[in-house]
Formats: sequence, C-alpha cells, structure tokens
Amino acid sequence: MSISAPRYTSGPLPRLGRDSRVMAIASREFHHRAQWTVLVPVTLTFMTVVLTTVVNVFFTSLVGTVTSATFTAAVSSPAWPYLMLIVTATVGAGTLADDVGSRAITLYLSRPVRLLDYLVAKTVGCGGWLLIAALGPGVLAVGITAALGYATATVALEAAGGFLVVGLLAAVFFAGLAIALSSLTNRALYAGVTIFGLVLTLDIGASIVAGISGNSQVGYADPVANVLAVAHQAFSVSGTSSLDPGVSAAILLLSGVAMWIFAGWKLRRVEVIAE
Amino acid sequence: MPMDGSLFRTDSVTRRFGSITALSGLSVEMAPGTIGLVGPNGSGKTTLIRLLLGLLAPDAGSLHVLGFDPQTEPLRVRELVGYMPEHDCLLPDMTGIGFVAHMGRVSGLPKEAAISRAHDVLEFVGLREQRYRRINEYSVGMRQRVKLAQAIVHDPPLCFLDEPTSGLDPTGREEMLGLLRSLSRLGGHSFVLSTHLLPDADGLCDQVLLLDGGRLLASGSVQRLLSSHAGEMVARVKGDQDRFVAALSRRGVSARPVGDSIQLNLPAGATRSVFEAAVETGAQVRYLGASVSTIEGLFLERVQNAAPGDAR
Repeated sequence: MSISAPRYTSGPLPRLGRDSRVMAIASREFHHRAQWTVLVPVTLTFMTVVLTTVVNVFFTSLVGTVTSATFTAAVSSPAWPYLMLIVTATVGAGTLADDVGSRAITLYLSRPVRLLDYLVAKTVGCGGWLLIAALGPGVLAVGITAALGYATATVALEAAGGFLVVGLLAAVFFAGLAIALSSLTNRALYAGVTIFGLVLTLDIGASIVAGISGNSQVGYADPVANVLAVAHQAFSVSGTSSLDPGVSAAILLLSGVAMWIFAGWKLRRVEVIAE
Repeated sequence: MPMDGSLFRTDSVTRRFGSITALSGLSVEMAPGTIGLVGPNGSGKTTLIRLLLGLLAPDAGSLHVLGFDPQTEPLRVRELVGYMPEHDCLLPDMTGIGFVAHMGRVSGLPKEAAISRAHDVLEFVGLREQRYRRINEYSVGMRQRVKLAQAIVHDPPLCFLDEPTSGLDPTGREEMLGLLRSLSRLGGHSFVLSTHLLPDADGLCDQVLLLDGGRLLASGSVQRLLSSHAGEMVARVKGDQDRFVAALSRRGVSARPVGDSIQLNLPAGATRSVFEAAVETGAQVRYLGASVSTIEGLFLERVQNAAPGDAR
C-alpha cells in the first residue's frame, strides 16, 4: 500500500451526453471479448468462408461463368451457421452473465445509464464481433475474387449484397440469442453451453420431427435451416430449400428482437433480486 | 444544491420485498453534510440508498435527492451522485486505472478527463503503486479503495457509501475512515455513510439517520440528538445502592437503579451532589459518565425505548 498524503482536487469537469456513455460500455465490451476464445473461431470462420468461396469461384471461372450463386458455396452448407454458433457462444455467453455474476450491473445502473442504454451498449459490443464474423469473410472473399478478376463488378456487387443480407439477419438472430441466454444465468459457461445446445437441439429435433411427420414446415423451428433458406435466396440459388426465405428471414429477425426484449425484462427482475 | 436546501427528503416511503417490509413509512429530511445511515443488518439502509438512486421504486411515498425525484429523473440524480456498493461489484479482469477511468467515462467524462481523474483519485485512495495491476490481484482492502475511487471519480456533490469498512481488518478500517474524513473535510461534498458498525459513524458524521427494522428511530444533527440527552448520567457505586439513591433524591437528583448501575438526571452543576451522597452513605463511586455520549449509545437507547411498531 503506498503512503501518500491525501490529495483530492475538485472542480468543474466536462460532461458528455448519453451516446458517449453508451459507447463507453459498448467499447469496453467489444475490447474485452478480444480473447483467443473468440479470435480462434472468428479466424476459423474467415478462413473457411474465404477459402471455400475463392477456390469455388476460381474453378468455376475456369470452366464456366461466375454468377452470384457461385459465391454461395461457403454459406449454403451448415458449416457456416455452426461456425457462427461457436462465435456466438464464445462472444455472447458472458455479455450479461459476467456483469450479473460480478454484480457490476448494479454499478453500471447507478451511473447515469438506463437499463435500455446498458442493454443496447452490451448488444453493440457483442454484436460487433458477430457482424465481423458474419459479414467480414463474405465481403473479403468478394473483394479478393473481384480484385483477381474472377468475377465481374456486377456479380461481385450482387454477391456482396447477398452476404450483407444473410450476415445481418444471422447477426441479429445470434445476438438476440446470446443476449437472452446470457441474461438467464450468472455463469458464462452455462450460457455458452445453452446457446450451443439449444440451436443443436432445434436443428436435429426439427429434422427428426420433419422426417417422421413428413411436414417440412417444422423446419421453420430450426435456426440453421432458416439461415440456409435465406442464404439460398440471397444468392439466387433456387429449389434447394423447402422453406419460404421471406418467412425464414422474418422468423430470424423477429425472434432475435423478441429474445432481446426478453433479456431486458429478465434484467429488471435480476436488479430486484440482487437487492 | 436544491432550492429547499435539503440533501435528500423522503415522504412516507414504504418498500416491500414480498412479505418483508424493508422500509415502512419513512419520512426524513437531511441537510448537506456527512450523514451516518446507521442500523443493524436488515434495517433498510441499502434499500433506502437504492431508492434514492432510483434503482428501486417505492411501493408508497416519494423521494427527492438534490431537488430531483429519482423516479422521474433518475439520470439527473445519478449524474450528481457517486455510489460505493457494499458488495463486490468490480470488473476483475481490468486494471485499477482502467476500471476507474471506465466508470468515469460511463459517468459522462470525456476519455482524457476520465483517465486524468482516475490517476488522481487512485493516488488519493492510496493505490498509486497498484493502479496498473489487475483488480483480481487486489486484496480486500485494495478492492474497497478502488470501489471508493470509482465512486468519486466524477467528483459528485453527493456520494453514497454502503458499508465502506465491510470486510476490512482494523488497520484497513482506520485507513478507510481516514480517507472518508479527508473527503468530508473538503467541503462542498456530502456523504451518506451506511454502516452497521456504529463506531464508524462516530467522529465522522455530523448528522445521523438511525434505522431499525425498516423504521426510523431518530434523525438529525448528532450534536442536537446527543445534547437532548444532556444531564442523563449513569453511575456505578460500591456500597448500599438503595441508600445512595435515597440520598440523591433528598438532594433533588432524580435517580433510579437499573441492574448494577444507577441512572441519574443531573441538573447542570449538580455533579457535587453525587459525591456528597456517596460520602453520606459511605458508598464508593466507581464510575460516573454520560449515559448517551455516542451514536452507538443513542442507537441503543432508542432501540430500548422504541415500542414494537413505534416509528419516530
């Protein structure tokens, strides 16, 4: 313990508004998550999508015409949604759980910050990584193939638009999922396992139920199937999914928002219980 | 500072948690200064602080802090207050300087000002050497200090300190109380010190708010509350206690035996009567002192005298 004479200077301090307070929390959340547990799956997602896309576009350009559908190789297989799922579990599990567990949430809410501000800031911090993982690889792959002359500017733009739509919808859904499940516990590990387990159960369960019942509509309960249905439509790949891409997109968007609202409701209760 | 001059005011505030009434009809008004929020565990201290911060809503009644209603203007209130919670609430993976600067930014300070203030307050609380260490490497005493630092980083005019000496060893407790004394001497800042350790409030607080079981026992200036007990003395004698009491009564001193002691109501300048009565009865005065001279004594006196369900 240092020995120092008490010194405390007091005087008017400049104050910034609500936006800067929200950004301070969001920025901290984003930087705090930059750990190997997050960087490894994000890097893996980049490598998988970029390599698969570039190689597929390269070979297609040798034997035929490259269209926007050529770019769907990486995101039309379940590998991409599952990589996103791993990123979600590692990035988002602790987003709220860590603060509830350490009770830092009380400290945040004792500052001039509303619960809504806090939730938005946490979502921005966590969602930043999800957006990087969801949009970054596709956009990078498009840029590389266009730069190497494998795709025309028009096709490249169409493909970038496809990645944008799929990436944004996936990011909204996975961010909502992470925030909701992270609000249910004070242990990030539990939230992470639940995120993975829930999506896996819905994916496998919906396939089994659809197989037994012969009702393909059950697939709407499967987030992975919904992401793939949207991806196929976004890249103009027809006839590969039995789900209506519009309905799948709406389900991803609305369920993401609904889960986010649920987290807000849950946190209000946590505040009271923390008393 | 508010127009009416009060630091905070509560009007018939009640707050329940299920079947438990944490605060019952609390009406109190406190002036700026250093206020001891005193009572045993479960007396409603933390609930009151959280109500004043707008973190909880009252079931009945209203509150005002620095002239603002924390229910309708919570952000305005929280811009003006600092809060040091009782429990651990730190971000353990951050360094001390990073954490305090971060909380400064969350309070609205620009980045450079937050960092500069964080250095200042960490030096003030005695963590200059440890500021670049991660908080999860800090001792209990250092954690308490960093909690204090984050509460004052934005230089709030009012600071709520919830059990600041909790978990500290005697040396750490004295050091923390010393820091709080330094802060309170600065002037222009008010502190609400919540504690169940009644001696912590003695010598530090100029006002006190005594709570027990969610009810108000007493509130106001410490000096005024203690002076209301002026003349109330307690004596212990060796000898015939009954004869001693009778001798005091003959000299016009109200006295009654309570256990091994005798409670006296001595008019000003009548101390001599006690010793005259002792000489007369052959008793030996072993102790003579004020019956209520500390906040702790005041609290005990009020608890003993409060009838069940009585709120004052």
